Amino acid sequence: MVFAVDLTFYAALMLYVAAAVAMGLYLRRGDVLLTGFASRFVLAGGLLLSVTFALRWVMWGRLPLTTMADGLNLFIIMATAIVLYMSNRHQGVDRALLCFYTPPLVLLYAVNAVLAFGDLHREPKALNGAFLAVHVGLAVLAYALFFVASVTSIAYVFQARSLKRLHTVGLFQKLPSLEQLDRTLYHLIAFGYVFFAITLVLGLIWAYIAADELSARWWLSAKIVRAFFMVALYSTAFHGRRMGRLRGQKLAYLVFVGFAVMLGGYLALGLLNLQDYNFWSAHR
Amino acid sequence: MSVVVVGLSHNTSPVELRERLHFPESQLPAAVLKLRKHLNDAGVVILSTCNRVEVYASTAGPPNGAFTDIRGFLSEWHNLPEEEFASALYEHANRDAVGHLFRVASSLDSMVVGEGQILGQVHDAYLASQAEQGTDKIISALFQRAFSVAKDVRSRSNISAGKVSVGSVAVDLAVSIFMDLAGKTVMVIGSGKMGELTLKNLVSRGASQVLLVNRTREKAELLAERLHGEAVALEALPEHLHRADIVITSTGAREYLLTPAIFERALKRRANAPIFVIDIAVPRNVHPAVNSLDNVYLYDIDSLQQVADNNLDARRKEIARCLEIVEAGVTQFWQWHQGLIAEPTIVSMAEELHAIRERELEKTLAALPDLSEKQRDEVAYMSKRIVNTILQRPMTQLKREVVREDPHIVLHLVKRLFGLREVP
Repeated sequence: MVFAVDLTFYAALMLYVAAAVAMGLYLRRGDVLLTGFASRFVLAGGLLLSVTFALRWVMWGRLPLTTMADGLNLFIIMATAIVLYMSNRHQGVDRALLCFYTPPLVLLYAVNAVLAFGDLHREPKALNGAFLAVHVGLAVLAYALFFVASVTSIAYVFQARSLKRLHTVGLFQKLPSLEQLDRTLYHLIAFGYVFFAITLVLGLIWAYIAADELSARWWLSAKIVRAFFMVALYSTAFHGRRMGRLRGQKLAYLVFVGFAVMLGGYLALGLLNLQDYNFWSAHR
Repeated sequence: MSVVVVGLSHNTSPVELRERLHFPESQLPAAVLKLRKHLNDAGVVILSTCNRVEVYASTAGPPNGAFTDIRGFLSEWHNLPEEEFASALYEHANRDAVGHLFRVASSLDSMVVGEGQILGQVHDAYLASQAEQGTDKIISALFQRAFSVAKDVRSRSNISAGKVSVGSVAVDLAVSIFMDLAGKTVMVIGSGKMGELTLKNLVSRGASQVLLVNRTREKAELLAERLHGEAVALEALPEHLHRADIVITSTGAREYLLTPAIFERALKRRANAPIFVIDIAVPRNVHPAVNSLDNVYLYDIDSLQQVADNNLDARRKEIARCLEIVEAGVTQFWQWHQGLIAEPTIVSMAEELHAIRERELEKTLAALPDLSEKQRDEVAYMSKRIVNTILQRPMTQLKREVVREDPHIVLHLVKRLFGLREVP
């Protein structure tokens, strides 16, 4: 079983790398067949990683969500599903977006493979009930939406800057319109924000119920502070866009920088092994 | 069998000569019939567009004879002495002719490289010939392959990406900014011809509302009536700017009509939704600093020209890659075509072996009179299977060898080996 976990994990990594290479070639050669290959590689990679996740679940008899590797695995699976949905709309004309989506996915996967590989052989700690599983699952889904939003924001800035600088050849011609990217960005932020807000409310309810198990200042832990920062940031982005105050490149920059800070914080807390970085340890 | 092309194009002849050799659509059927008579019922296609006149044919004789016949046909049909156009003609045979057609259909030989019209024109020319029973097996296969190579070139390269004329660049850019032009509002300031043309292009792509701004309300109303839009007086322009998704300016004003401050106010009122501004006036009507505003995309006439030039350059850079795709298509077609040379020999070889089989089968069945009907059928079926299995490899190999080696030597050897009669 351990071998199968390793095999599916690394095979999936290879497929993501192959997808990124296919998109790189597509940028050079413009052959649309390559985008089809890339899309299939990403799909196969996502499915294989889901098998890794399922194997870990079967192996230990509990949902593997409490290690950094498991968290990132679920995150990549969800991000993959969103990316595939986004890049296959409109009869696949949005597939050029994979040029933006695949490299960060590969990067995240590589970070996971290098830094958290040991976790794959470790027993995941048990979550304190199904309530927390929903809390964690929704949080990861929200992170995945924010991740895809941040990459979409790069695509938006790329398109907007190309238009301003009259550089309207190559990738520019293959990407969706600015208006479509803006709308996509808005929807991603909106869904991410709503899911994250629900996650936060669920977390607060759980903290209230399990108050005895938590320290008096649990809300000052790095993880909770980061969560509140994220809510504030995406609330600004969502409401700003909804009211039309934040739109275009400004919104794109905010979303991108916000996610970069959030991801940096997550990895830093995880790598430095600071208390409360993991999902299970909040109730220590 | 040879494949030939004789023709002239924008690369080899002036428009005056192309006009004289042009085949109007109404004359094509008669021309196809007459050309076939000239070429002893060969398969033919006449491609006649504003940039080229070409005759494609598959003939049984050598290419030189076909070249002469086609030149004679062109001279006779157009009543033009051969000397007047012979120097402008190009003549290609076999692989070169196939490559030429594939390049033409893929728009690599067009005046505007990568334009999409030529493929449709080649298709129409083929259909016109087909309607007169002017095509044969080779011409049909050649043109079908040309269509598939052309589609391959378009989908596997950037040869057709981006527009290359100023008018269509504006529409192309609008589509890059807006998801869909349907429901978008276009504001036209001034009454220039180019502004009107750009507006018509945008409306044909779905832009539904039109605001027409002019110095006087009366002139604006006249324009609005003609172009089915809403009239706006020039002094009211800042008040209406927020309604426009696309602004086209082409007035003779000496000073800037639209400044960053006016756009900032408009953006605020339209919740920062993007505005695409096409300033085709000289001197310009929109202050260049407007382009530094987020969500405003300003293009003047020079910028549009630059975008068109960039697109054309990008297309030209793709030509080498497209030629690789074309070359692969030519090789594939030519292998199939060369394989056809072996077909009569293969048929003759199969007939010879089956004749031997039947003779031997007859003798065997005569020696075994007690066999039931079912058993006799079984033996006959087995003998057929054996001969077909024996034939399979030499047939495949022969088709390959006639492409690789001198087909006459290969076929002669096979005929000697199997004692076949000389086949035509």
